[in-house]
Amino acid sequence: MLLAYHAGAQTADDTVSTENLKKLSVEELMDLEVTSVSKRPERLLEAPASVEVITGEDIRRSGAPSIPAALRLTNNLDVAQKNSHEWVISARGFSSDVGNKLLVLSDGRTVYTPLFSGVFWDRQDYILEDIDRIEVISGPGGALWGANAVNGVINITTKSAKDTQGLYLDAGGGMDPHGFAGVRYGGSLAPDVSYRVYGKYSDWDHNALADGSDAHDAWHSGQGGFRIDAQPSTRDSLTLQGDFYHNGEEIQSGGVSTVSGGNLLGRWSQTLSDTSGLSLQTYYDRTHLILPVPGFAFAPAGTLKDDLDTYDVDFQHHFQLGSHSRILWGLGYRYTHDVVSNAPALAFFPTTLDQSLFSGFVQDEIPLREDLALTVGTKVEHNDYTGFEVEPSTRLQWNFADRQSLWGAVSRAVRAPSRIDHDISEPGPDYLIVILKGGQNFRSETLVAYELGYRGQLGPKAGAALSTFYNVYDDLRSTSISPPDPIFHLPFPFFFANNLKGATWGFELSGDLQPLDRWRLHAGYRLLEENLHIKPGEVDFNNALNETADPQQQISLRSSVDLPRQVQLDTDLRWIDSRRINNSGVAAHVPSYVDLNLRLGWNVSHALELSLAGENLLHDRHAEYGVPGPQQIEIERTVWGRLVCRF
Amino acid sequence: MPLLRALALTLLVMAAPLCAAPSEYQVKAVFLFNFSQFVEWPSNAFASPDAPFVIGVVGEDPFGTQLDAAVRGESVAGHPLKVKRYRRAEDVEPCQILFISATELARFDGILSSLDGRSILTVSDIERAAERGAMIQFANQDNHLRLRINVAAAKAAGLTLSSKLLRPAEIVGERQG
Repeated sequence: MLLAYHAGAQTADDTVSTENLKKLSVEELMDLEVTSVSKRPERLLEAPASVEVITGEDIRRSGAPSIPAALRLTNNLDVAQKNSHEWVISARGFSSDVGNKLLVLSDGRTVYTPLFSGVFWDRQDYILEDIDRIEVISGPGGALWGANAVNGVINITTKSAKDTQGLYLDAGGGMDPHGFAGVRYGGSLAPDVSYRVYGKYSDWDHNALADGSDAHDAWHSGQGGFRIDAQPSTRDSLTLQGDFYHNGEEIQSGGVSTVSGGNLLGRWSQTLSDTSGLSLQTYYDRTHLILPVPGFAFAPAGTLKDDLDTYDVDFQHHFQLGSHSRILWGLGYRYTHDVVSNAPALAFFPTTLDQSLFSGFVQDEIPLREDLALTVGTKVEHNDYTGFEVEPSTRLQWNFADRQSLWGAVSRAVRAPSRIDHDISEPGPDYLIVILKGGQNFRSETLVAYELGYRGQLGPKAGAALSTFYNVYDDLRSTSISPPDPIFHLPFPFFFANNLKGATWGFELSGDLQPLDRWRLHAGYRLLEENLHIKPGEVDFNNALNETADPQQQISLRSSVDLPRQVQLDTDLRWIDSRRINNSGVAAHVPSYVDLNLRLGWNVSHALELSLAGENLLHDRHAEYGVPGPQQIEIERTVWGRLVCRF
Repeated sequence: MPLLRALALTLLVMAAPLCAAPSEYQVKAVFLFNFSQFVEWPSNAFASPDAPFVIGVVGEDPFGTQLDAAVRGESVAGHPLKVKRYRRAEDVEPCQILFISATELARFDGILSSLDGRSILTVSDIERAAERGAMIQFANQDNHLRLRINVAAAKAAGLTLSSKLLRPAEIVGERQG
């Protein structure tokens, strides 16, 4: 997990000696089952940033039933489950119901919604076995990834179709998920053309309110898709992939929300030489949301519908300039077509919005000395709300000893406005009074981040990383109050403005230890201090509390052990500090908690794997998010079993 | 109390007995040693009759101490086995076996072409390495190692592979001779 410079290193206490292995024949060596060191993209390992990687094997071993659950395996993210189908996930603070400072990519496709620049985690899914890795970067990534890569980037990458050949079946159930089944088949269409097709269905149980009653958040999800990978020549590779999904989700306030959509993506990469290559990617993504909206301020209950079509094309090229400098540059264009059908109590204007995003970036990596590398780069974007945005970054890495490095970075990132900031109206204008409106002059939020980090191998079986940051924010979202109207003298509508600024600082510390060949330990600690305030002479109805529902500290301790007879036991213990949450301008708190996830797996044979997994085992239920009170949803303990067949 | 319960569970895990299985790179190291025994080099591959038999690793070394352990005290026809590590492709010196680490993916073709005409057995676990011109590729199939051998490439370098290697391996490219 931690990006230690991983080696399959072992010492003299190995139970299988190399001398004994040398006595075996080639066939006998091939019959041995080996423990694998997963391959990780080395370029990323060397990256001067706070990066953690979750491998497909990490996900399998953890028993995580979903991508958000798998993200708990990182130390540099805060993952809070709001209810059965909603998660609040953030890096370096700024958790909120409409969190917006994390960029998430799924196989190169940006998956945040322009409604609020956040991510609907309920619709990010694959057959988890087909995920190659999830890279999680905490800290700004704007220079490469652009607006919204403010506090972090999550990059989900699935395996190439040629690595998912054969039949895979997966089924199980228990308390929550109630039941699930998935099937994938991978084959080959021609000698250098591989494909896979998959489908999965999951049925998830509801959680409970404080009094133990049904929280009305049960849901089911169905998804299918395919991926084709071809290698027409040794230089070229082509990928074509697509997914479609349909979810039905109970909403706590009543009714059922429907979420459906799909995507189609094509990518062509060509290696031009040892040091140069290019890639061209294009995709289409469609999401459809039907959301029951309860009545609010004279407006009756109704239904919000949102249809979003995204068309995106990206080009990238890297090459060596002169004897040293490595250049990476790219151009991108995205067109979104968003159509909202407003509910009485929640509306967006204009209802139809077409937007274009143009972007270009260039990055130069310059080895200053044998052990010192400088990376400078910037992204320049043009969006329809704020025009041009520039997001430069400079990074320095010093490999001061063998497998020991220090790095530092200074970066600027922006969070461009989204529809919620600009276009929202609660309720719509046809009713007596509008309580909340978007800000017509809403600008981009900005960040200047200063980072320092260490990463190194401490002996053959231990590694550690420390990432520190000092983030300076300006023009953060606030809620302003209108002058009292002449009739009722009420301060409505509230509207969004950019009246907050301030700083956050903290660090992420993690360590890996492999005390025995079959036993790995991982520990992590995270500290976050936040000091946001209202700009002098301005107002914020929420008292600078609305954007940061964050715990100050978190600790995780994981153990992964291979027992005899192909049995594996994985435990994940976490402590999350109390979470300050805004309750109309007054700080409320979600209490701190300790909880445990566990998986016991048995590889009966190469074809069959049985496992028993549990989440949140230490409590009947506990809240992870939300304003305390009778309507706060508590996440329940769950245990389920799973059967996996691979042919 | 919950914290205590959890700690107790973790300690239980720590005390569990562990069973033995080799790591991927421990077995790969032994394979590299085996290659030195099951492949025949032309006599001109060595500078002198007592010159060392060098197994080179280019790029980040994934073996740790395994490779050194596998060749310690061994020799091939009077040539003592020795491991050398080359940080970058430019640093590669004459050797008998060259393991190309996965970190050299981008420079893979360049490394191979720079070795052209020399009697060096090229080995890698980079995907499709055998198709791309490496003589032996380690592939991983359900946690079992497989050998994929490009016989034509070995032959072109003047190397003769024993049937002990060829029989259990997957032959890539045209089978010659």
